[in-house]
Amino acid sequence: MTARVTAAPAVGRPSARSARKLARKIAVYVALIAGGLAMMIPFLWMLTTSLKTRAEVFSSSPLSFPTGLHWENYTKMWFALPQVTFGTFFQNSIVIASLATIGQLVTCSMAAYAFAMLEFRFKRVLFALILATLIIPFQVVLVPNFILYRYLPWPFSQSGNWIGTNLPLWVWAFFGGAFGTFLLRQFFLAIPRELADAARVDGANPWQIFLRIYVPLARPALATLAIFQFMWSWNDLLDPLIYLRDLPTYTTTVGLAFFQGQFVGKWPEMMAGALVSLLPMIILFVVAQKYFVRGIALSGLKG
Amino acid sequence: MTALTRLGDRAGRATSPGQARPHGGPRARESRWALLFLAPTIVGLAVLSAGPILAAFGISLTKWDLMTPPQVVGLDNYARLLSDDRFLKALRNTAFYTVVSVPVGLTFALGLGVALNQQIRGIAWIRTAYFLPLVTSATAIALVWLWIYSPTGLLNNLLATFGISPQRWISDPTLAMPSIIAMSIWQGLPANVIIFLAGLQAIPVEYYDAASVDGAGRRSRFRHVTLPLLTPSIFFTGILALIGSFQVFDQVYVMANPGKPSEATITLVYFIYENGFRNFKMGYASAASWLMFLIVAVFTILYFRTQDRWVHYQ
Repeated sequence: MTARVTAAPAVGRPSARSARKLARKIAVYVALIAGGLAMMIPFLWMLTTSLKTRAEVFSSSPLSFPTGLHWENYTKMWFALPQVTFGTFFQNSIVIASLATIGQLVTCSMAAYAFAMLEFRFKRVLFALILATLIIPFQVVLVPNFILYRYLPWPFSQSGNWIGTNLPLWVWAFFGGAFGTFLLRQFFLAIPRELADAARVDGANPWQIFLRIYVPLARPALATLAIFQFMWSWNDLLDPLIYLRDLPTYTTTVGLAFFQGQFVGKWPEMMAGALVSLLPMIILFVVAQKYFVRGIALSGLKG
Repeated sequence: MTALTRLGDRAGRATSPGQARPHGGPRARESRWALLFLAPTIVGLAVLSAGPILAAFGISLTKWDLMTPPQVVGLDNYARLLSDDRFLKALRNTAFYTVVSVPVGLTFALGLGVALNQQIRGIAWIRTAYFLPLVTSATAIALVWLWIYSPTGLLNNLLATFGISPQRWISDPTLAMPSIIAMSIWQGLPANVIIFLAGLQAIPVEYYDAASVDGAGRRSRFRHVTLPLLTPSIFFTGILALIGSFQVFDQVYVMANPGKPSEATITLVYFIYENGFRNFKMGYASAASWLMFLIVAVFTILYFRTQDRWVHYQ
């Protein structure tokens, strides 16, 4: 930016120019910060509402700050439902998101290695097919997959099949995925081939090269994939809604949607619930923002 | 970045001349290794994605409630869909959502991307504020916006200070869809802004210097340097926004109090969910999903066709 400004044809006395530059800089700051605050309004409002009493929410000006910090809204929300707490939903979400993340890390990195490093027949066709699944709306396969899971036996569920268990929400992740495969393949291609060649001369087979050279070097890309998959699983609503049947198995999103149906008008508790459900992702984002940005900039995918 | 954009010109030459090779030797051994690495992916493709797309078409030709064996009914489901008022409403709402949210969302994101492309102190923190909606679930966000839009909510209170009478943002059929679109644009901004920022930062500074030397002003530099060089990013975000806009579900599910949207806000995916997993009409839901698939495919292909006319690759 500064390079461009100084490159502009010089006009006026130097002091007037620098004053104008300073004014412009301040204007940029003010505009960007004001815009940022505007983007944050829903979050700020969620926070202030969650700390108000219900009477306060409806009587006082919506922009006012809470008179006292009513943290009890959070406890009320946490224990609002019979037989389960919000903690149960959290636990379910963590289990599902973790398993899905592990599955994607293992199988996408394997596929990515094959596409980046090995030569085989139908490589192009297969890769094109995988990329094509990126632009196919996954809702097309909702019904066939539901039927598939309905015929897969599972002795520990009420139905005797996978419906009503969390299996359909993470087992798929152990069978590859387009986003992760593409992301990691790009990363593997950038690793100097000499490393693999040297290992091969030493008698290492492709599996050893993959495990000892490529996986350790790809840690940043693996972190990006892990973060995205965790976020997608955490935020997913449609699949848990279809497959989970009992309250104790609900994930945070389904629990929250259920909560909304049960507690119409209880805005402070509802905002407390929404905020708590977002908190893990917000913390993850603040800590690992560069991985999010890199993942999107590299492959441009969102949930 | 280039994966999807390159897909178009790849499709034509799927098999390259160098692929027919004799069996045996190191090449065959490498193929066997590849098969090992790719086994999970190939199974997934066959059983969970590519296979089911074909299966969905088969199911769409039947009447099936999962309790009794499926009956083949031919194209009956499709014919019924086209005269089903609720389906046509879902189609219309989804089309409206796409036509409004894609261009408006991308324009905002482009402006914001240019605005955030500054080398100033603290820009990382400022960007964090803009990027935050990226990681939030549509479910929680829809709850917050439900409260913003509620009769006693923030929006009506703000408008009251300007003397505008309160509106029923969600329950009024004409306002419901625009309200949902506004929320979705807000939530979708960060991802598009990040792609635009990456595109902007890839533009060599020399281009701007050269334009300045030629006497180009700020606006002219944007028009003749930034915009043309950003067309790949615009093309790319366009395809993502297009596909994403056909998949709207969470917001509609949460906002339509709860889980039963009226004809004003029902979307295609909600229609599929409702018929497949609430009414257990598997054939009917599959037919709807196949129509959606066809619509998305046709628009995607048409969109890729326009690529040569306006996208400039460096």
